[in-house]
Amino acid sequence: MSFLRYLRKINTQLQLPTRLERQFSNAGTKSAILQYEKDPQPQFTDTETQRLLQSMTQMQLDKVFRKRTVPDNDNEIKFMTTEQLENEFVKMIEKAKHQLQMPPVVKVKQDTERIISKDPALKDFQNTKFVFTDITYGLRQSDRKVVVRDVDGTLSYAPLETQKRMNQLYFPLKGRTFHTPRMFSEQEYLQRCLDDHKYEFVLDRLTVQYEPYELDFHQISAQVFQHLNESKEFDQLRSTRHFGPMAFFYAWHHCIDDLLYDMIRRDYLQNAVELIALSYKLHNVPVEFRKTISELDALQPTPEKRALNQLLSSLKSKEEHEGIQQEIQTAIGKAESDFAADEISLKFIEAYIASEHALKKVQLELAVQTLKEINLEKLQLYHGLKKAHGMHAS
Amino acid sequence: MAVRLLQKSIAQVYSNTILNQFGSSANVLPVTPYTISYRNTSFFNKLPADEIWRGVTAVSNAGKKRGRGKGSGKKIAKDLNKGQTIGLGKKNVIWPGLNAPIVRGNDLIRQQKLPECLDREKHIINLRDSMGRFRMMRLSPIDRGWSGTKIPGRSIGPPDTVGEEYDFFDTRVLENKIVFIMKGNMGRKRRYSVLSITGNGNGLGGFATAKAPEVRTALRKSKNRAGQKLMNINLCENRTIFHDFYTGFGKTKIFVCKKPDGYGLICHRAIQTICKVIGIKDLYAKIEGSTNLQHIVKAFFIGLLQQKSYQNISDVTNFHIVEYQKEKNGFTEIKAIPHSTSKIPNKNHVIDLAQYVLEKRNVLRKKAIPTFYLHSKGHNLFVTKQERFRNHETVRLYKSLHGK
Repeated sequence: MSFLRYLRKINTQLQLPTRLERQFSNAGTKSAILQYEKDPQPQFTDTETQRLLQSMTQMQLDKVFRKRTVPDNDNEIKFMTTEQLENEFVKMIEKAKHQLQMPPVVKVKQDTERIISKDPALKDFQNTKFVFTDITYGLRQSDRKVVVRDVDGTLSYAPLETQKRMNQLYFPLKGRTFHTPRMFSEQEYLQRCLDDHKYEFVLDRLTVQYEPYELDFHQISAQVFQHLNESKEFDQLRSTRHFGPMAFFYAWHHCIDDLLYDMIRRDYLQNAVELIALSYKLHNVPVEFRKTISELDALQPTPEKRALNQLLSSLKSKEEHEGIQQEIQTAIGKAESDFAADEISLKFIEAYIASEHALKKVQLELAVQTLKEINLEKLQLYHGLKKAHGMHAS
Repeated sequence: MAVRLLQKSIAQVYSNTILNQFGSSANVLPVTPYTISYRNTSFFNKLPADEIWRGVTAVSNAGKKRGRGKGSGKKIAKDLNKGQTIGLGKKNVIWPGLNAPIVRGNDLIRQQKLPECLDREKHIINLRDSMGRFRMMRLSPIDRGWSGTKIPGRSIGPPDTVGEEYDFFDTRVLENKIVFIMKGNMGRKRRYSVLSITGNGNGLGGFATAKAPEVRTALRKSKNRAGQKLMNINLCENRTIFHDFYTGFGKTKIFVCKKPDGYGLICHRAIQTICKVIGIKDLYAKIEGSTNLQHIVKAFFIGLLQQKSYQNISDVTNFHIVEYQKEKNGFTEIKAIPHSTSKIPNKNHVIDLAQYVLEKRNVLRKKAIPTFYLHSKGHNLFVTKQERFRNHETVRLYKSLHGK
């Protein structure tokens, strides 16, 4: 326990300079690209973090399954029984989950020279290097052995670049090219993409072209996220696989306020709480957030469940929707549990704004105030409607 | 005259051979060259020029009655003889006996060169130009029909306003042909029959045939009649049909398939035109049997009108109808839910919707016949030789794009 306290103490001491650094970087974000100073992987792959990120990503099915350009766009019309349709919906949710699988955030892998043997006898046998690749079928890219025999007779494991190239040569990955696409090699082109707000396109291509442990991957993704933080087009990445890494990036680098503001403005209060909780978790801030999160979880369904319910509700014919309570809920867009959840989340968010961690306090306070007023109106309307229909107001 | 000429020539050939046999040249008279005509009779020497000329450019009376020689009104060939007479040419020469009398008064006229007449050439060219040139009727490519300057496939504008307005309507001719009937006093009487279709490109369409002795009248009549016979056709997503269907009329059988956005109209040209006028953009249709145009049109319209709505099919079969959308990565959208949910069968045996809408017909899908040289020795050799170049094109394209 004392050890933990000691760690926290160190952490608080450490936070001061980092924040100063961040403020400095905020002044000229374009010049400085933020980097993960230590390995983010253990924090990122942690179950709790993953759950928070998934919940923040949401699962808006019409966004996950949006229209894309495909070689075959033929639609198939089928008969189905209710049972089959329900199974189909479950499958669709599985598919959506697969689509939303986040690319991992790991540290940059350093190239180390690993020599297997030095054979001076083979020196100048040839005036070129020889690369040997194990092309056994079914190996993982990282497990594939690639070794190089140098001109001076040294046999060593190939550097990462060569390894990637050989993998691409024998087992090409669709969409990955040998030459770096100009979009990534030339800043001018990347900047144009970013200015057009084609964030998802850039990130998708980045994920295909690079491995997550490459330096370029880190630098370009950081650049995209920083640009996004300025343009505030967060909604573009919502319900895509890049939302999680983006939120993680902001939480790690102490710049969640803009995203938080966007979430409050769009009435995604639970997500806002989760974002704050993530930031607390990453920086070991001594605030108890797990209780609030579990309370909220009890009140609100997970994104997957919500999506499945939405699908299943379309299955019911109009007569089955008849419950007046349901009708009121759909008219207002909120149920009783939502109002309760909002109250808990607002309390948590206000506590955050009041604390020293929030930077854009005035803006956030205003957003919260506006939301509160709207919520109050909705609540009054909700109760009024219930009364009018002769139901007990709880 | 001709017979005599032939006798003479035979006699000459005979005498020549005899002389050659004896080999003596002392008594031989000089032989003047003769043009030998072996054909004694032909229309060239039987008919006068104007009749021959008419035979080239005109049609016989009987032919005209049968509708032949439609191009006879146009100038097909030019009479290059016009303005030219024998004896008068480029060089202005007096030939006594040919273009001048031999004796004038007491003088004998001699052959004589006169100064060149410069206007003659110009005069002939002017004459030829005035005859008119054969020229194809020029049509803007947009206005063209199915073939050349023929009317079928061409637009003839919206129906005339009679009571109601036909805004945004367009009429297209599908068939234009000559038909005959027998009349008591006039005998075989010729008329033009025109089949045309009109529509507003948004689900309204109508077709009609009309006959008239003049093409123009027939076109107008059929256009206006089509405007009076409009039918409402429901379009799926405002671009295609609701489901595949089979339809027929007479010996014409049509299989029509619903197609995704951007597919286009892959079907008979008449069906294409109908679809364009009605507002269908994506469809595939295959005609089996007779391609009688009137039957195609009737069959296609019957098929369009007999389509069932999803809700209707769902109510009858008690199944949900869903659409599996490949462009949305396999998103399954509910199209219709049966009216009475209690009756939904719980068994997992589901009938095929394609079978249901095609009324248990199976469309014959022929396999593509492989080319005759496939797997032949030469072709196999070619393929093995070509293999090493297989990626060159893409690499060249890549290099031209990226400059590396």
